[in-house]
Amino acid sequence: MDFNLTEEHKLIRQSVQEFCDKYVCPIADAVDQEPRFPAETIKRLAEQDWLGIPYPVEYGGAGSDYLSYIIVLEELSRACATTGFTLECHTSLAEYPLFKFGTEEQKQKYLVPLCKGEMLGSFALTEPGAGTDAAAGTSSAVLDGNEWVLNGSKIFISNAPVAGVIVVFAMTDKSKGTKGISAFIVPAGTPGLQIGKHLNKMGIRGSLTAEVFLKDCRIPKENLLGGEGQGFKIAMMTLDGGRIGIAAQALGIAQAALDESIKYSKERVQFGKPIATLQAIQWMLANMATEVQASRFLTYHAAWCCDQGLPYSSQAAMAKLFASETASRQTDRAVQVHGGIGYIKGTKVERLYRDAKITEIYEGTSEVMRMVIAGGLLR
Amino acid sequence: MLKIVACFKWVVDDADIRVDAGSNKLNLDRAAYKISPYDRNAIEEAVVLQEKHGGSVVAMTVAPPGAKPCLKDSLSRGPDSACFINDPCCADLEPSQTVEILARAISAKTDYDLIICGEGSGDIYAQQVGPALAEKLGIPCVTWVNKLSFNEDERRIIAERKLEDGIEVVSAPLPALVVVLPDINSPRIPTLKQVLGAAKKPVENVTPQDLGSIPSPRLLTTDVVAATMDRRRIKLAADADGIREAVNALLREGLVS
Repeated sequence: MDFNLTEEHKLIRQSVQEFCDKYVCPIADAVDQEPRFPAETIKRLAEQDWLGIPYPVEYGGAGSDYLSYIIVLEELSRACATTGFTLECHTSLAEYPLFKFGTEEQKQKYLVPLCKGEMLGSFALTEPGAGTDAAAGTSSAVLDGNEWVLNGSKIFISNAPVAGVIVVFAMTDKSKGTKGISAFIVPAGTPGLQIGKHLNKMGIRGSLTAEVFLKDCRIPKENLLGGEGQGFKIAMMTLDGGRIGIAAQALGIAQAALDESIKYSKERVQFGKPIATLQAIQWMLANMATEVQASRFLTYHAAWCCDQGLPYSSQAAMAKLFASETASRQTDRAVQVHGGIGYIKGTKVERLYRDAKITEIYEGTSEVMRMVIAGGLLR
Repeated sequence: MLKIVACFKWVVDDADIRVDAGSNKLNLDRAAYKISPYDRNAIEEAVVLQEKHGGSVVAMTVAPPGAKPCLKDSLSRGPDSACFINDPCCADLEPSQTVEILARAISAKTDYDLIICGEGSGDIYAQQVGPALAEKLGIPCVTWVNKLSFNEDERRIIAERKLEDGIEVVSAPLPALVVVLPDINSPRIPTLKQVLGAAKKPVENVTPQDLGSIPSPRLLTTDVVAATMDRRRIKLAADADGIREAVNALLREGLVS
């Protein structure tokens, strides 16, 4: 068993760290506090070939593996969770279903510009009454001649305000439950597609999240993604991969919390010596480092399974469950190590504390992750 | 068309150096290595000139075999190929030895128009390799360069030198060697495709023995310890007497005269 990353993976990590030092870290506080979407950074991500990392070169991607993508997400999130998540949503939630289920024509039309960074992608599954219970969705799609007519409303849709294309899920046959859900490609600007106001979130505040309204929104018949009734399968497979991405985001946040805690505990002097010399602090740091490393192994292993073509649903769920809860625990510890200053806006750990929580919620809550893992065990 | 050699050194990452509190010795046990930051500017300038005028860029280094990761790192930054002069005896070379080995390698193996070096290495910062290499090869050397261009018609380089008392613009015929300053450019961050493409670029492996015997060192390193700053902890009042006392103390120490 070889735990070493390849030279390429190490270089990718190094290049992302250089990128973050130069472009991401200097604006991360402003992105959080104003808050604002880091559009200039996203443009640069495209220049670095990071907007389609695991997809083939012929579709505009970088032709790399999933682990490369995970490393990029981890390092970006370590610097700025908003930036990491914007990339994750684009790559895992919008590009993946197009790559996996799209026709050649759909890939050329939508996946290529997404991978090249000519536009961002979004994914619209959640509804006000249908979060974890996707089958409770009420958005509908009816075929009318050569067009699908979509109606309904979606909520918590990340990237929607800046997306060039949204993968939308809607019921084509309500009587069939999950087997009545279908996926559709809805380009921005389609009449009847309205983006609601940006939601004011606790963390990842620069990421744009909004409601999406569909009012007699007509799209060409050929914009059905996969077959009719395949939407639930597309959504679940998409979220399986996405969970590795969220695990990487959580890992980056947790690593940043550890970095900040080590640095601060060496600088902060109490009782005439740095607090890092106190066993109370050392134990916190030791626990943090152990859980961060365990998160990394779970996350990289899930990505490795994905790269090897092995089943990875349970591995992804375990990685997301552990890494996201680690991020929440360790950012809490990081604020504790910092004491009062950790509670003040502008201190990085204060931002990390708020950014961490969402990783336990989106793309499947911790409770759903446990259901997925248990389902795999008891199958 | 320009055939360019960009020289670089694989150095310890100074952020990873730990100092033993008791002995003041440097602890490099957990230190990672990287391309010397100054040499990134040399590589970048070579690639910029090549993109503008065509030709080729060879990234060249002298290092122990363990420095192999430097090859993909350097190649991901734009050069077409690398020349890796390596041997276990190439650890901790002093500048005169590095110059001798580089000069032999460049004379024997490489057809070149221009050699670009960084201002100094990120570890010992002796600033000797560039000028001494030019001297060894018998070619013009332009140092302290913060702007560089190439006149294709006259096949001369035009360099702006940033000196203490002003800017000097000079030109030199090819072949020539240029030592660049950090503010000449902002080294690119390798894109993912450049990182992945680095493995496909050719690397020439050379041992110093292929080039003749390795010259003996001229320096004897007896010890390396961290620089320390001992504070005198003298408190002076912010008034005329205090200032007078401070000036007298500096005079006594010979720090001002």
